[in-house]
Amino acid sequence: MAGDVPTEKDAVPPAEAPLVPASPPLEQLAIAGEAAAGTTGAIPGSPALERARTIVVYGLLFGIAALYFVPFLWMISTSLKTLPETAHFSLLPKHPTIDAYREALTTFHFARYAANSAGLAATITAVNLFLCSLGGYAFARLKFPGREALFMAVLVTLMIPDQLRLVPIFVKFSEWGLLGHYHGYVFVKLASATQLFLMRQYFLTIPRDLEEAAKLDGAGYFKTFWRVMLPLAGPALAAVAILEFEGAWNDFFWALIIFNTAPSHYTLPVGIFSFVSEYQTLWPQLMASTAIAVAPIAVIYVFFQRYFVAGVASAGVKG
Amino acid sequence: MEAATATNAAQTKSIGGERLREALVGYAFIAVPMLAYGVLFFYPIAYAIYISRYDWGVLGKVDSRGWGNYRELLHDDRFWIAVENGLKFAAAFTVFSMALGLFVAVVVNNAVRWRGFFRSAFYFPSIASSAAITAIALYVLSRDGLFNRITGLDHAWFGESGTALWALVGLNSWTTSGTVMLFYLAYLQSIPTDVYEAAAIDGAGAWRTFWKVTFPLLKPGHFFVSTLMVIGGLKMFDQAFIASGGNGGPNNATLVPVLYLYRVAFADVRFGFAAAVGLALMLLMFTLTLVQRLSFGRTEAA
Repeated sequence: MAGDVPTEKDAVPPAEAPLVPASPPLEQLAIAGEAAAGTTGAIPGSPALERARTIVVYGLLFGIAALYFVPFLWMISTSLKTLPETAHFSLLPKHPTIDAYREALTTFHFARYAANSAGLAATITAVNLFLCSLGGYAFARLKFPGREALFMAVLVTLMIPDQLRLVPIFVKFSEWGLLGHYHGYVFVKLASATQLFLMRQYFLTIPRDLEEAAKLDGAGYFKTFWRVMLPLAGPALAAVAILEFEGAWNDFFWALIIFNTAPSHYTLPVGIFSFVSEYQTLWPQLMASTAIAVAPIAVIYVFFQRYFVAGVASAGVKG
Repeated sequence: MEAATATNAAQTKSIGGERLREALVGYAFIAVPMLAYGVLFFYPIAYAIYISRYDWGVLGKVDSRGWGNYRELLHDDRFWIAVENGLKFAAAFTVFSMALGLFVAVVVNNAVRWRGFFRSAFYFPSIASSAAITAIALYVLSRDGLFNRITGLDHAWFGESGTALWALVGLNSWTTSGTVMLFYLAYLQSIPTDVYEAAAIDGAGAWRTFWKVTFPLLKPGHFFVSTLMVIGGLKMFDQAFIASGGNGGPNNATLVPVLYLYRVAFADVRFGFAAAVGLALMLLMFTLTLVQRLSFGRTEAA
């Protein structure tokens, strides 16, 4: 199971509020669907009945898939049309053109927004990877007075809703001159408690022998962490990186608050909002810009699905 | 084993300050995150309480209001509209996203082949950006959009006060159903197969088996998911904000609690009052969660 991200290895409750009951074990989330064929809960019956059931099940599956993906297909299709052509309701554009993308990227500044999104998401991911793995390691392995209380404090931050922090953070950030700056946004996203928790849980599962060996070789704490522990935490680091990147790339709320008055700093989601409010019915350009916002996450998702799934239990519902 | 313990003890003694060193290194490793949590989470709570007692404008403190902001809140029509919208949305969203998510989970769970593929596919809307999803919905649900075209209906779904909130319910239920499905799949996997075999021996059909066996056995799942959905529903902001151009219209139909808070802070520029709104909303959420917990606890005992 080295590839999976363990979470419930000890008694600490999962992310979300303590009022929320325990989430299903992650190992089950991870395997649900893949390995467990055969335990489908299928009711054995006659072959004819079995065949009918299979037909119904796959009919439904393809029906749901169509319903779930038509909006995305429609987005792609519209982004390849011209505005007059959107009046014809065909899924396949008659004269596909990438003009809408060109216009969205240049005239409507989405190249800039995409660069902002990419730069910020990459920075936030890198910073959080370092801080959360270092902090997670300390909480998992090092002994210091007040460790349990401080860790509880980390978990408590997960219960504090964003809308309560909105006003005080805005007032303080404007006082400190952090509004409208990239570093202000990176600061607001600094050190995610969910990810620190994830890293700590992972480090708890790594046997101590290797560390002891490193210590006997005279390696210091940081060197032990950096050279011995971090290379062993690959799967957890990958999960943290992907979840953090996705979160930052998709975030609308804080980007709106921090960059509201600085259009040159807009990220893709804020750019989409501003486009919607100004030119609502330029559908091809709007759909092109949403495609630009969705595509990178879709590509990452295709290759790293299981890490997204691993994040579900801790992330819960997004607003 | 004993020898190892002995050397360990000897080491600790010989190094002497090693414990102190370890503690200092520990504090250093967690320093930046803890500082960030202090500044970004704990201090803001205290500061929100402080601000909420003042008339606080763009330039800062104007006047002390005591509990005035809270009293005003109780008599503010828009606040109650927002609370009503929030509760309506959260209730409908919880029901629809859970029904849809459970339905999809059961179907996926019955698939033998390509189960992983379908599971991944149905989860995809959950991870796409809320802004992009809302933009697509604005287009599909516009008066001359795809939805009207297919169904033959004729509504500007986000533009009419009678339909706007329901359009948001539909949109969010669709995107969140993938998350709900993943949770239910995990719970479905934890139901032992012999329960189904027993039901089959009793001659129960698929429909009856679902309602008499599967559904009741999923109770921990219902509780877990519904708690998440109610809280998530009350916090919904992005979609309402984008769909209404930031004003909660038409005619306050999509003025959900967090959007109301945003309006008070940034359109009216009344930070003191907005801080009071934030605290009141948190109280509301905690109360609802408690009520849910207690009512589920009671049915469990019965």
